[in-house]
Amino acid sequence: MLKSKFSFFTLLLFLIVLVFISIIASVSIGQVSIPFIDSCKIVLYQITGINIGHIDTTISKMTLEIIWQIRFPRVLLALFVGSGLALCGSVMQATIQNPLADPYLLGISSGASLGATLSIILGYQFNLFGESNLMIWAFLGALLATFLVLLLSSIGEKMSVIKLILAGTVVNALFTALSNLFIYFAKDAEGVRSVSFWTMGSLATADWDDLPLIATTIIIIAVFFLSQWRTMNAMLMGDDDAITLGININTYRKAFLVISAALTGIIVSTCGIIGFVGLIIPHIVRIFTGSNHHQLLPIVILVGAIFLIWTDLLARSIIPNSELPIGIVTSLLGAPVFMHMLIKKKYGFGGN
Amino acid sequence: MVLGVTNMELDVENVSFTVSDVEIIKSISLKVKEGQFVGIIGPNGCGKSTLLKNIYKVIKPTSGKIFLDDLDIVKSSPKEIAKKMGVVGQFNSTNFDFTVREMVMMGRTPHKKMLESDTKNDIELVDNILRKVNLEHYASKHFSYLSGGEKQRVILARVLAQEPQFLILDEPTNHLDIKYQIQILSLVQSLQIGTLAALHDLSIAAMYCEYLYVLKNGRILTHGKPEKLLTPALVKEVYEVDCCIYQNNDTKNIVVAYHPALPNY
Repeated sequence: MLKSKFSFFTLLLFLIVLVFISIIASVSIGQVSIPFIDSCKIVLYQITGINIGHIDTTISKMTLEIIWQIRFPRVLLALFVGSGLALCGSVMQATIQNPLADPYLLGISSGASLGATLSIILGYQFNLFGESNLMIWAFLGALLATFLVLLLSSIGEKMSVIKLILAGTVVNALFTALSNLFIYFAKDAEGVRSVSFWTMGSLATADWDDLPLIATTIIIIAVFFLSQWRTMNAMLMGDDDAITLGININTYRKAFLVISAALTGIIVSTCGIIGFVGLIIPHIVRIFTGSNHHQLLPIVILVGAIFLIWTDLLARSIIPNSELPIGIVTSLLGAPVFMHMLIKKKYGFGGN
Repeated sequence: MVLGVTNMELDVENVSFTVSDVEIIKSISLKVKEGQFVGIIGPNGCGKSTLLKNIYKVIKPTSGKIFLDDLDIVKSSPKEIAKKMGVVGQFNSTNFDFTVREMVMMGRTPHKKMLESDTKNDIELVDNILRKVNLEHYASKHFSYLSGGEKQRVILARVLAQEPQFLILDEPTNHLDIKYQIQILSLVQSLQIGTLAALHDLSIAAMYCEYLYVLKNGRILTHGKPEKLLTPALVKEVYEVDCCIYQNNDTKNIVVAYHPALPNY
């Protein structure tokens, strides 16, 4: 839909520059403000070893620590999680041909919540995995939910979109009830508080140790989905038309759902539930690019990254000496934008 | 235009389709020879669409063989078939927005490898097709803003971008005004590639089809050339409606005119 290749590449370039600006801004702003120039120098020095103005000696060790050990991994996590969620949202919307789909559609959020609840509330009995206990339980929960949804929806002749959505709803209800049951009977007030914090999402746990796994996964999956733009376009034509365009819809649908669920599961288990990003970013980007995934997907990935970097910055700096869970911020920001889009009517949300 | 360079023959042999113990089509055999325009007529629920869906692989026949020349349709992948066969379905609508050019370009999907981008040839082909279906000024318009007739022409253009050697029309002119019905079917006829079409309107079927198969209750009741096949007795038997059938003096077309009757439930 973008008029020419030129305008597409201009937009792409603009967004890439914006990603870099967002990173630098985000590592500089916080309870300790650091001049942009110093942040640039530190990041450049740490990555490439280029030492401008003897940055290694002129800047305090604490500043270096704040930027390199605390803020920079967190900004990178925001970048990867944002792009991953926005990408999964677009893929889900194409795969089930429904503009309401989001990455958590297959019961992933409730599954991960159940896993996290188990690990937090029954932590001592269930601590099988040491330090990453919570993360692994959340991931297993997400996996179980996805598996159940796929199993339920593929019983019978073939997997249909309606069956998928209904199975997702049922599994969500079941797993949420189970989590609530544990919370209801929990004696440990602190644990209940942590569960509820966990479900609101946070990037505060970011560190250099966990980053490589999530980053590599997202990069590999993003490259894969970027190569599948023709398939996703054809999927949007409906099942029958996709088949007559040569797409084996059942195989591709299952593969895309599983891959996207795996990625969402990893994201959720790392940083809790961050709502709205996967739903709203694809819709906003479609206003500019149309539904053609060739242009939509790269832009979605960049916009998702930028959006989450800035919401995380907001989440940790809006209240002095404290931070808001990022899931609250994404929804507080996302909902009004969505409302505005609904009222303006110019964009049809795929419903025409 | 590259279209119609080669031409294929469709051979359907004893195809049956059963779903939850109900046999929807029963041992149907039919043939579409090279370049022939063949129609399937019959009342609602007779199995026309089911038969066509078996042929274009949305469903798999319970038994029987379907061949497009040497290509075994039941065993081949959708991609292999999509390179040879194009399908214009019942009224298509997508929930997502594409421009007309993007829609038509989608017809190139079966010919593309995973990372292959649109080549100059693809773009030229799409330009040619848009001209052919008279939509060249619509290329950058939004599909969702078009009228029903225009949308169906875009779908036809998308199917032509597949460079099909055989066409299936599954009641493609449902809900369309007569102008667009004639436009679509005349366009298809002008391509001179083998075509199998399920049609509702008997006069329209007689006008375009060289050969007709009549389906009732999942079986082929009879088949033949329209001018011999279509008789008031047959229409009464198949549709339970009285009619006159005559040849119009001006157009030389066969026309079916119906007698009004109270419905007989």
